[in-house]
Formats: sequence, C-alpha cells, structure tokens
Amino acid sequence: MNPDMPSPTAPADGEVPDLDLVKRCQAGDTRAFDALVTKYRSRVYNMTYHLIQNETEAWDLAQEAFIKAWRAIGGFKLDSGFYTWLYRITHNVCYDWLRKKRIESDGEFDDSRTEHRVAAGAEAVPQMAPRPDQAMRNAELKARIDAAIAQLSPDHRQAILLKEVEGLRYHEIAEVMQCSLGTVMSRLFYARKKLQEILKDTYENAT
Amino acid sequence: MKTPPDENQIVRFLDGEMDAAEKSAFEASLAADPELRAEIESLSQLGATLRKSMPNGREVPHADFFNSQIQVRIAQEEMDRARESNAPAAGAGWLDWLRAPWFAAAATAVVALLAVTLWQGRSLSPSESSLVLSSYAPNPDVQARAFHSDEAQATVLMLDGLAAVPADRKIVGHSVHHSETDQQVATTTLFSDDGHVLLVLAKDGRNQPRLLEHTP
Amino acid sequence: MLAPRPATLWFCISLALCWSDSASHAQQSKSFQTAPIIEKPATDGKVWGALIYGSPAGTGADVAKGDLPKGLQDLPARLGKVFSFQHFELLGQHTQDVFREYESWVVPSKDLFLKVDSKGKADGGGINLHLQFWQDQQVLVKTDAILRERSPLFIGGPKWRDGQLIFVLLLTKPES
Repeated sequence: MNPDMPSPTAPADGEVPDLDLVKRCQAGDTRAFDALVTKYRSRVYNMTYHLIQNETEAWDLAQEAFIKAWRAIGGFKLDSGFYTWLYRITHNVCYDWLRKKRIESDGEFDDSRTEHRVAAGAEAVPQMAPRPDQAMRNAELKARIDAAIAQLSPDHRQAILLKEVEGLRYHEIAEVMQCSLGTVMSRLFYARKKLQEILKDTYENAT
Repeated sequence: MKTPPDENQIVRFLDGEMDAAEKSAFEASLAADPELRAEIESLSQLGATLRKSMPNGREVPHADFFNSQIQVRIAQEEMDRARESNAPAAGAGWLDWLRAPWFAAAATAVVALLAVTLWQGRSLSPSESSLVLSSYAPNPDVQARAFHSDEAQATVLMLDGLAAVPADRKIVGHSVHHSETDQQVATTTLFSDDGHVLLVLAKDGRNQPRLLEHTP
Repeated sequence: MLAPRPATLWFCISLALCWSDSASHAQQSKSFQTAPIIEKPATDGKVWGALIYGSPAGTGADVAKGDLPKGLQDLPARLGKVFSFQHFELLGQHTQDVFREYESWVVPSKDLFLKVDSKGKADGGGINLHLQFWQDQQVLVKTDAILRERSPLFIGGPKWRDGQLIFVLLLTKPES
C-alpha cells in the first residue's frame, strides 16, 4: 500500500493554488502559466523521460506538453484536477511521438543522439561521483530499477509511474491514460510481475 | 481478455483501493494461503523499493531556458493568432471590418501594442529576444547555462568553472573603428579611429586564430 | 566655306593623330593600372561587441554613454541586473559586419574575442549565428544563437582581479 503521499493539488504554504493560476491563465496571464510550468516541469519531464528514454526528446516533449496545455487551457474545467489534466496531455504527446517513431523505425527507438538541443553543453544529468558503501548500493539499485522500468512497454511503464511515483488513484490513472479501471489494474499487475521477475536478485537485497 | 479476479484483488489490496470489508476478507485469505501471502509481501517490497528509488520529479536540464522557450512559443502563437484574426475576410470591405465584433478588441490590442512599442523602456516580448539555442564548452570543467533576464532585457550565457585570469595579467582593450579582411591570405586587420593598425588576426597551421599586435 | 590651307590641314591632322595616340596610350595605361573592382562581401548585418570589466568598485572610468550604441545607453544598469557588480568599465569595443559567406571576428580585446559565422536570417527577425568565444588560443564556448535587435547577449567570462570580464554582443543593424 502506498505510504502517505502529499496530494499534488494541495498547495504548499504561501503557494498559489493551481485553480487560481489556471483562472488567470484562462484570462491570458502568461506569468501565471509560467508559475504552473515551474511547479510541474520536473514531474512532466520525469514522465516524458521515463516514457521516451531519451533525454533530448523528453525535454522537447515536456515543452510540447506545456505548449499544448496552454492552447487548451481555455477549455479546462475548473472542477477537475489540473495535474491529472496536464499528465493526460503529456501522456498523449508522448504516445503520439512513440507511435510516430514506431511507424518510422519498426519499433526500434534510436537512443544514440549525441547532439543536445538544450541550451548548455554540459551534461544535463549530473555526473555521479564515486561514493562508498550505502550510497553506492543505492545508486546501483536506482540504476537497476531504471533499467528494469525501461524494459516495460510504454503502457506498463506509465501505469507503474503514475501509481508508484505520482501516487495517482486508479480513476486518475484511467483519466490520464484514457482507459478503463480494469485496464489500469491489469497493467499494474503485469507491470509489477514483470519488474519482480527482472529485479528478482536485486530488490530483495535492497536496504 | 478478462483479468482474473484475484489479480485485481491483489493490486487493489496493494494500492489501498479496497474498502474495509474487502480488505478484511482479503487479509483472511492471506492468512490461509502462504503462497499468496509471500507474493503480496514480495510485491509490496517491490513497491516500496520503487517509491524509494524513483523520485516523483526529475530535474529539468536548463530549467530557466525551458520556461523561457515556452514563453517565446506562446508569445509567437499569440502574435500569429492576432495577425490571423486581424486579416480581412475575402471580399470584405473596410466597413465590414469596423462592424466586426472582434475589431474593437483587436484594434485596441494593436494600438496598445504600438504604444508600448514606441515606449523606449518597454520590455521585449519573448519572441523579440535573442536566444541561445545550444552551446558546447570543450573544457569539461566548464558548464554553460543560458537564460533570459527580463530585468536586464538581455539573454545571458554564463560559463561556470572558467579559470580566473591572473590578477597581474594586463587586459588591454581596443576601440576598433573598422576591419579589413583579406580572404586570400586569411588575415583580418583591425584599425583604430585614426586609421592606425591595432591588431592583425591571422591563422596558424592548425587554422587557429593568432592575434598580433601591430608594432609601428 | 573656304577649304582649309594645307598647312593648317596638316596641323589639324597631326593634332588629331597626337590626340588619338595619347588617348589610346591612356586607355592602355588605364587597362594596366586600374584595379579590378572588388565587391564587398555580402553581409547579414552588423554587430557591436564589447569587453566589459565588472567590479565591486572600479578605479577605471565608468562606461560613457557616448561609447555605447543606440539602444544600449543603459548598459551598466542592465549588466547590474545580471552581474552583482557596482561598476562596469568598457575595456574595448568593435563594430563588425557579419559576413554572409565568411567568418567575422569581433575583437574588442586580444584577450577575449568572438568568432561569428552567419547562418542566415532567423524567422521572426534577427540573425542565426554560430559564435565561438575565444580566450587566447582556446575556445571557451561554442554556441548557436539567434541575435535580435535591441536584445543583447551577455557572456559571463572569466573572473579577473576582484571582478569579471563580460562580453556584450548586440545586433545593431540587421540586413533588410
């Protein structure tokens, strides 16, 4: 069972609630949208990164998701959760990209791009300096988990991330992935079984 | 394909989606089924490991640039939209324009934009700002990061990790009036305001620039 | 009309011959001495580059407005929004054409200078540029950028003494 996870919609002290920002966006306030981008960019990028498995493309697609959200924000119903709506847009952007890639390259995704289109030459992901003992084991574990997640199909990967990482409820996952509750449960079950198989020797020893 | 009911129960139990009665019944079945209990424990541990190892956010590389690029694109789209909505319908006379309900709003927006454009102190919109699209620092100790400063109305490229210039080094600047380039010998001569040669830029055998100070 | 006298006629003919000969000679000289017309290389605009020294309390002169291009008269104030210095000294400046087909060099100082390659006009105005920021014989950074009028690029260079060297690049005139 999930440990207590802070609701993504609950604003931190002093933070403007999402719906207030959305209302301002709907009135054309781009600065309010910038605040929403700042709030959700790391989560959106996390999602695109895990789905696309390519840093440069994930960055572009995260941007694309926000641009699409801006275009559609006029139609956002204020009685629903903004982050679920945003994740759905992100999901669609990623799946459109995956579908296109599958058509272009027979299902093989090219992860060998060397040119970063982001503004800086340095590595986007900080280098991990060698660390001893526990920290090293944690780092290794994380690397193995990332590799295991990467082996899942996009549907299974997304379901697991939305559940385990984002802490969404089933109906929210169904809304993001535009599928039935039954499909959500099925995907979660099979994703977990697959990860269990891949990580058999790993997570049992994790501390 | 119909999912076997026990699979749904397993995930719902793991994810806290069962009501009290269901949970109680499932816990009873766990007590009676060591294999199922082991499975649940294993999957529960997997979940804990996943949550511990995977943060719910990933730092966006060049986050400021990420935001500013979005603003640039939004501004561009807004301008394109305004332009399209201001274009007359085919065959419409100018009176039709005036009567169009959107015209007053669009005209106000255009006038406001013009007024703001004429005001010297106005900020540039994101689509009018310079942009750093990509950069590469050959020295791995140097990190380049770009962002737009609204306050400064400038685009900034910061280079972190550069070695400092020694304090005793004399940095000499010039006021270059003009330059002349001889493409055939690949040299550029830089002249001062009064026509004196300040520097000559030539290329060495590796096509690297060499700046030579002119000694009269 | 009376026919010209023979002497006069010969004089005129001689004069004519001398004139045509000298004209021909001049023509020939001209064809040897006139330099071929060299067309100025095509440009995509003009940039102003400057090396600025930012420091907490400078001993050198503050940047004089007269030294600054139009649109950048408030450069010290703008630099102050990005770099936490109180004093900005203009060490050098250089206005340079951006050649369409060749590299251009912006050299306000031989210690820090810029190589500029045009990649043509940018959609929405400005020029697409490839820039190389050089210090002595090393490239500090290579960057692809779109430079637009009234929107300078500030490059934070190396620290020096108690301040920092800053390169400013401004598109002063895009090609119409």
